[in-house]
Amino acid sequence: MLNGLAFGGLIFLLAAGLSVIFGLMDVLNLAHGSFYMLGAYVGLTVLSLTNNFWLALIAAPIALAIIGGAVEVVFFRRIYQRGHLMQVLLTFGLTLVIVDLIRWRFGPQTHSLPTPPGLDGAVHILGVPFATYKLFVILFATLVATVLVVAWRRTKVGAILRAGVADREMLGLLGIDLSRVFTATFAFGAALAGLAGVVVGPYLSVYPGMDESILVLVLVVVVVGGLGSIEGAIVGALLVGVANAFGPLILGGFEAASIFAVMAVVLLVRPRGLLGLRQ
Amino acid sequence: MTGLRQAALRRRPLGWLAFLLFLISVPAWAPNRFWINVASQALIFAIFAMSLDLLLGYGGMPSFGHAAFFAAGAYGCALWALHRSPDLLPLMVLGLAAGAGLAVIGALALRARGIFFLMLTLAFAQLVWSVLSNNQLAGVLGGDIGLIGVPRPVLPFLPDINLFQAANFYLLTLAVAAAVYLALAAIVVSPFGRTLEGIRENEGRMQSLGTFTFRYRLAAFVIAGAVAGLAGMLSASFNFSATPSSAFWTTSGLAMIAVIVGGARSLLGPAVGAMLVVLLQLGLSSLPARGLAEHWQLLLGAVFIAFVLFLPGGISSLVRGRAN
Amino acid sequence: MNLSTASVTVRFGAVAALQDVSLDIPSGERRALIGPNGAGKTTLFDVITGARRPTSGRVVLAGADVTPLSTSRRARLGLARTFQRSALFPNLTVAANLALAVRSRMNAGWRIWPSRQERKVAAEVSSRLDAAGLAPVALRRASTLAHGEQRALEIELALATEPRLLLLDEPMAGLSGAERQAAVMRLRSLPEEVTLVLVEHDLDVVFAVAQRISVLDHGVLIADGTPAEIRADHRVQEVYLGRTE
Repeated sequence: MLNGLAFGGLIFLLAAGLSVIFGLMDVLNLAHGSFYMLGAYVGLTVLSLTNNFWLALIAAPIALAIIGGAVEVVFFRRIYQRGHLMQVLLTFGLTLVIVDLIRWRFGPQTHSLPTPPGLDGAVHILGVPFATYKLFVILFATLVATVLVVAWRRTKVGAILRAGVADREMLGLLGIDLSRVFTATFAFGAALAGLAGVVVGPYLSVYPGMDESILVLVLVVVVVGGLGSIEGAIVGALLVGVANAFGPLILGGFEAASIFAVMAVVLLVRPRGLLGLRQ
Repeated sequence: MTGLRQAALRRRPLGWLAFLLFLISVPAWAPNRFWINVASQALIFAIFAMSLDLLLGYGGMPSFGHAAFFAAGAYGCALWALHRSPDLLPLMVLGLAAGAGLAVIGALALRARGIFFLMLTLAFAQLVWSVLSNNQLAGVLGGDIGLIGVPRPVLPFLPDINLFQAANFYLLTLAVAAAVYLALAAIVVSPFGRTLEGIRENEGRMQSLGTFTFRYRLAAFVIAGAVAGLAGMLSASFNFSATPSSAFWTTSGLAMIAVIVGGARSLLGPAVGAMLVVLLQLGLSSLPARGLAEHWQLLLGAVFIAFVLFLPGGISSLVRGRAN
Repeated sequence: MNLSTASVTVRFGAVAALQDVSLDIPSGERRALIGPNGAGKTTLFDVITGARRPTSGRVVLAGADVTPLSTSRRARLGLARTFQRSALFPNLTVAANLALAVRSRMNAGWRIWPSRQERKVAAEVSSRLDAAGLAPVALRRASTLAHGEQRALEIELALATEPRLLLLDEPMAGLSGAERQAAVMRLRSLPEEVTLVLVEHDLDVVFAVAQRISVLDHGVLIADGTPAEIRADHRVQEVYLGRTE
């Protein structure tokens, strides 16, 4: 159960970024998985250089924010008027490039980030040993989620983003520079993905291909939870995380199929997702 | 209009004839069997890409789930060839039927449009993939390894022609590809094809003109699925196996790259694009250039991004420009 | 074909775009629907054609309740419409645009084998191109046309379905004087049995073409009568008072 929460926390970090990007910019960022992977490898590099996990935790989101912003400016700006398909395909092309570059630089083998000292070992919860690091993941994800929800609901920036998700044209009418908002949003989403990448390091492994396996799950979360909604991402991530943990017990082998079936059903019946704001 | 288009098609028959002859001649001058096999795979992917083009380029329905129909054909025919008979004609019919059949189920996605359709088809493909790779069904479907040991087909009136030989199988693939091309080309210039284009351009207007657009989209979806299934059948025969990864959404993604690079609004464009993608993917790995060998994805991704940014009409838009 | 709407209401949350709109338009009548911007005229058209479901109320065509029917089905019954913003097939040629409409009417859109129908389609497209004055641009892509040409194509697409009821949403918008005259002539050439409902801001055109006028304001039908009655109506004058034409 707690495993499910840890995994859910991880998925949330990814889903939040993707959801907001999609909600605001109408871009289905298939490169999100590769940002995640990039974050993990940045973390790996920083860690091997400085042996400091916390530094890696800070460096990766920053690096990804810069990269994400650059990508948005260089590539996306030109194709916004071309329609959704081109944008999605562009992100797909980016994924190919980024993943391959990473594999070129780091090789195809699996790496593992060592658990930071102080977070290794296990705690006992209800008599069952549970990896301390996974507990950290849960707490950290909760912290980030809280910060995000507060920012989303209470701050001016959050209000702008929420308004943009509901009605993008309105933002333009209010005199807000849409292109800056887009760049910032994309950079922010990428940063979250990078953060997730570092967090996952000691927990699961780091390898080329980690982007693919997780991306589809994140997509499910975003669809089910609702496009453009942080709360939706939380709910969706929790559901998926728990389903992932309990699924094998209940559905025997078919949990993957059921997750996708649920995604399809949600898309058909309620495309906005459970808590989505987009029309 | 139709007459004009048909005339345009006939304007360059020599070009096509030359291209066809070129393709036929490949076994004669290819350096070794490896390259003939590459050519076969290129043609198989070209068939798949052309079917996607019907859906995407002419119907305006971008799908990340198209590979599911490919996999349906592959698995259906693999099972048939393994347990029943390797006769070619039943296999081809089965490939078409499997693709079409799964498409009828997947047609549920047609209730959505645009990006939601895209996501639905992606979800559908992943659903299919997860069922195919499910180890609990490994007894029937082979789990994540898939089905192996699939025999090559046997020609109906010429059972002595050994399709295990690269050159022979290649010629079969070429024949199928040519037939598919002609069939799709006929569909595309027909009134049905025109209507489909109209739906792509402005579905709302077509409806207000009295066209029941859902039927056309459904028909296009099923036809495309059938042809994809046929490609799957050839693939299973070629690889002696059917694997779940063929249904993964990235396979459809690669096909979309082929379609866009080749040029979505033509039929030959995606075919050529597909062949280029395969050549890049397989050919690069045999080059002596170290370091570059395994990085076809990087090259493909970069080329694709360049096309999306600067030449969204694909190669065929260049060619068409010159022809005018 | 006669049209009537019964208490059509369209609500978006708390906002009522249309409130209890009931119209009765007999066969062959030329009706104008006027009102300030945002009055709900296009919304009403959307409801009549089936593009939008009313929150309540019914649409009746030729005596039959068509409210549950789809846009395509209603179009098959003889309903055609032009759009405020031209709804063309942008990447297709003008000729191809018209061919789609003609083929749709002839029910020849599903054929794989061209057959004789296509020749008939081509012949009719040719004559329509001439009638609409679009022959010179027949092979140009619709998206490259000048505004006036696009509007002419927009109208011709609707006419090509040989409708029994034609809804025109601001057909003259942005047209030059000559273009307007041409359009009016094209509309006048319609057979008498065709019912015409025209949304227009150009009151000259309205008073020239319409036999009856309905006035919509803020989603409510405030007046309904002959041109003379409407001209004299106080409420209508209020609504249009101070508005630049």
